[in-house]
Amino acid sequence: MLYLLAGGGLLSFNTGFAVWIAISLIVFLLIMTKYAMPPIMAALEGREITIRESLEAAEVALAKAKAISEDNEKALREAEQTAHQIRKEAKEEAERIRTERVAKAKDEAEQIVEQAKLDIKQEKQSALLALRQEVAYLAIKSASLIIDAELDEEKNKKLVDNYIDNLSKN
Amino acid sequence: MTNYFTFLPLLIVVLLLSQPSVLAINTEADDMEKSETSIDIMGTVADHNYFTFFGTKLYLPRLFLWEDANGIIQFSTYRSTKKALASGEFEQVDDAIKPTNGTILVDFSLTSHLIYFWFGLGALALYIMFAGSRYKKGIGTSTAPKGALQNLFEVFYEFVRDEVAKPNIDGEKYKKYVPYLFTMFMSIAFMNVFGLLPWAATATADITVTAVLALFTFFITQFSGTKDHWQHVFWFPGVPLGVKFLMIPVELIGLLTKPFALAIRLFANMMSGKIMIIAILGLIFIFNDMYGSVAAYSVSILSVAMTSVLYVLKLLVALLQAYIFTLLSAVFIGMAAEEHEHDHVHDDHIHAEQSV
Repeated sequence: MLYLLAGGGLLSFNTGFAVWIAISLIVFLLIMTKYAMPPIMAALEGREITIRESLEAAEVALAKAKAISEDNEKALREAEQTAHQIRKEAKEEAERIRTERVAKAKDEAEQIVEQAKLDIKQEKQSALLALRQEVAYLAIKSASLIIDAELDEEKNKKLVDNYIDNLSKN
Repeated sequence: MTNYFTFLPLLIVVLLLSQPSVLAINTEADDMEKSETSIDIMGTVADHNYFTFFGTKLYLPRLFLWEDANGIIQFSTYRSTKKALASGEFEQVDDAIKPTNGTILVDFSLTSHLIYFWFGLGALALYIMFAGSRYKKGIGTSTAPKGALQNLFEVFYEFVRDEVAKPNIDGEKYKKYVPYLFTMFMSIAFMNVFGLLPWAATATADITVTAVLALFTFFITQFSGTKDHWQHVFWFPGVPLGVKFLMIPVELIGLLTKPFALAIRLFANMMSGKIMIIAILGLIFIFNDMYGSVAAYSVSILSVAMTSVLYVLKLLVALLQAYIFTLLSAVFIGMAAEEHEHDHVHDDHIHAEQSV
């Protein structure tokens, strides 16, 4: 025990040595806390903040990009739908115009036919009228002829026959 | 790890060279005396006024504050012990040195442990300067940290900050203590690791050094103590009046035992490893003296094997003790700096303790 506690022993507290240690440590700690450590601590903390902020910013940007792409997709779908609508409408319009045209043409044709029929009827009417007048005239003429040649029976008969022959030729 | 195994042959060689007599077969009458001097455990672990480097002794300056016979206090400095003795003002008494007329008040002599203490601080200073220059250049701030040294620095720094300081010290206060804790951790670790060198002395295997280190933690703890901390010491809340008075000495002893335990723990751990290695290797020389060289060589196989295992353990202990010292410092500071916002929580705690 004496060996341990005596001067220079293992468990002896050496005051002069302790003063050296204390002074060295105070000076060293002052340098460390005032000059050496703060820039390093600031640098590392700054880096950590930068990394954290970058990660957060990246997350926000990613969310934004996702939203934008969703919007784009939606817009694309809408545009497709609109195009489809327009195409459908155009088709319907074309169909409508076509049927209209066809109907109109039909009407016109019918009208023309009708007109032609009417013309034909009128022509027929006027022809019949003319025929009747001619027949009447012929009858009157033939009658007058018959009256003129009554004396010669044979001649009369011949005349009438001639007339009738001529008539059928006409 | 492999580096520490390569030290072993070196260690053996150094030990053999430092004691040439053990190489010779020696069975003479002065065996007993020789064996006592050949394995000087205490001399190896104790502090000295010289600094050993590869078996060469470099004598350190001696500084004395002393009082002569007339009661005049003087401060004398000498380049070495020999110079002090040559001056005639000092004389050798046993192992110590004493003024011929008068008494030494304080011995300010430089010692091997002080040199290794400075080595520890110096190594940390170099490391910090290296890291600082890296961060100044932007390596590690705007780019990724480069190289093993810088990455290791970050590992240690972030370990002290995130695992030691942050969980034990409240809120944002911990930032204030990170430089202190980091300095303590790194310098103790450096001193411990330097102590693994075969020719080196371990500064932390000295009760004076560990006591001063623990005192620093003690003072920082008390200076960062909040009102609650002092209230707990001098007027313990939530107990009857009589117990309050009883608690004052108990709490005061509690304040002092914390640094005491810190100092003893670090000192004993570092010292025991050193003594163990010397004792195990010493077996070789004891066997040589007692049974001859053949026995000594046989024992050396076992001794070296055990020493190599111990060296690995010592490296672990070196870092572990630095961590424990720092962690407990952080815990003590955290306890003192803690703010109790809700007193009833504390009361609940006491009730719980009473019911147990």
